[in-house]
Amino acid sequence: MEVTAGWYLALGAVLFVIGAGGMLLRRNALVMFMSIELMLNAVNLTFVAIGRHVGDLNGQVAVFFVMVVAAAEVVVGLAIMISVFRRRASASVDDLAVLKG
Amino acid sequence: MTEISYLAVGPVAALTLGVVVILLVEVTWKPPTAWLGAIAGVSLLGGFILAVAQWVEASDDPIIRFRGMLALDPFAAFGAVVLTVLGAVALLVAWPLVVEQGRRAAEFIALVLLALAGMILMAAAAHFIMLFLALEVASISLYVLAGFNRHRAESNEASIKYFLLGSFASAVFLYGVALSYAATGSLSLYDTAEFLGETVLLDSAALLAGIGLLIVGLAFKVSAAPFHMWAPDVYQGAASGVSGFMTAGAKVAGFAALARITVTSYGPYISDWAPAVGAIAALSVLVGTMLAIAQSDIKRMLAYSSIAHAGFILTGLVAGIDGVPYVWFYVVTYAFQVLGAFAVVSVVSGPSGAKSPLTDYAGLAQRAPVLAGSLALLMFSMAGIPLTAGFLSKLYVFREAVDAGYLWLAVLGAVASVAGLFFYLRVIVLMYMSPNGEKSPAPTDIRVGDPVRLALTSVAVVTLAFGIVPGPLLDVVTSALPF
Repeated sequence: MEVTAGWYLALGAVLFVIGAGGMLLRRNALVMFMSIELMLNAVNLTFVAIGRHVGDLNGQVAVFFVMVVAAAEVVVGLAIMISVFRRRASASVDDLAVLKG
Repeated sequence: MTEISYLAVGPVAALTLGVVVILLVEVTWKPPTAWLGAIAGVSLLGGFILAVAQWVEASDDPIIRFRGMLALDPFAAFGAVVLTVLGAVALLVAWPLVVEQGRRAAEFIALVLLALAGMILMAAAAHFIMLFLALEVASISLYVLAGFNRHRAESNEASIKYFLLGSFASAVFLYGVALSYAATGSLSLYDTAEFLGETVLLDSAALLAGIGLLIVGLAFKVSAAPFHMWAPDVYQGAASGVSGFMTAGAKVAGFAALARITVTSYGPYISDWAPAVGAIAALSVLVGTMLAIAQSDIKRMLAYSSIAHAGFILTGLVAGIDGVPYVWFYVVTYAFQVLGAFAVVSVVSGPSGAKSPLTDYAGLAQRAPVLAGSLALLMFSMAGIPLTAGFLSKLYVFREAVDAGYLWLAVLGAVASVAGLFFYLRVIVLMYMSPNGEKSPAPTDIRVGDPVRLALTSVAVVTLAFGIVPGPLLDVVTSALPF
């Protein structure tokens, strides 16, 4: 059986849904952030598969940009999480409930 | 199509140059904060002049530069003009907060300018990768700004919520880009439009899913319901001095990007995406208005009202390219209004404070007539009382919706505007007709600094001038169309 671009797109979709599910269901800020990274990697897989399929380099190049942006997001995100963690020694987003109404 | 054009990146280059100079000057000489403000002012002025130059150049000859990455068209130029002015007013509003930051002031100013650069690029991007980068430059700067007071629990909470939901929205947006790429084989906004214009897709499921995810991702960024959950917490938790900038800037840039994507790339599929936009608009108007009524904190009230306004702006977008001028009109005048409202809040509750209960505003007219007068004008305008810009902008978007066959949406919007009168007028009644709140801990005399006074004056001028004489702005926005 030949593995065509469709398989990669399906895998990408499954990974994206797992990531989105994790983001919406998990309550630990770090795990939620990992889920977002999983979503971004699912997008990367999709980009590469399509780029290869249609013979267009843009898809491959997009992946580099996404990786760089994801790295920048990690830097900012972990810094924010550390500043929260310092105050309350917990990474659960359920503890963050000062603001409501 | 391929040439490099320094004008196309002019405003962005001026702002990023300002960022670099500010950070270098800060580490080398540690100058007084006022000098940093002066550098920021010069770079904003430079950005503004270059944006006007873009407008002059592009109105005759709109073109795509940098191998299809950036558009040099009236749409992008107008976005840059508006955002540089908005940035200057926002820095004036945030100035007390900047001064309070001490040696961290340079970082704060740099982040504001960087966010602006990203927002300007969002309005100019002609390629999905460029758009994604611009979106992230703006968003990541705003995540940090939201949590800038890292010793306050509210600020931390606002920042982490904004960060998690904002990154989630970016990932959703990006998957939308990937699906659109799968359907069309192109990442350029304009090649996508060309492809969709001349090809009939046998199976448009991937494309429609992609468009849907793109709209959802951007709806998150402009805080349209049902993707609005973060907005009240973030705008309340962030320092009052900067919430206005976060609301106004994200709205202008987000709607610019959304308008360009939908009307240019997916123009041929308007009958598919317009109902989705209409549904989001209706939901935002309803949710924003109903929840704003229940708020007892003015920052949360303004946040929910901004959700309702996002709905009104989307109401104009269902008309496609015909609605774009009025989307501009609405989003520009609203951006200045919300900036002004948060400016008043930042004076009354302190520039770095998070909570701002409505009781603080009881009898404000006696303690601070200027503040009460400005806030009353802005509330009238947001409510849509005639002779203010808010009235005309609502009128225009409703007219566009009716012309496009969305009568129900216009009726819903009109009913919601009437319901909205309740919470806008409540603030005015509280300020003018209730005695100086005995519970209120606020000082009896509130001093308004010169920067904030200047910002409030400019906001009031914009709100009144374009409410009474909308002609000049209408002329400009009707030619500020995407290439």
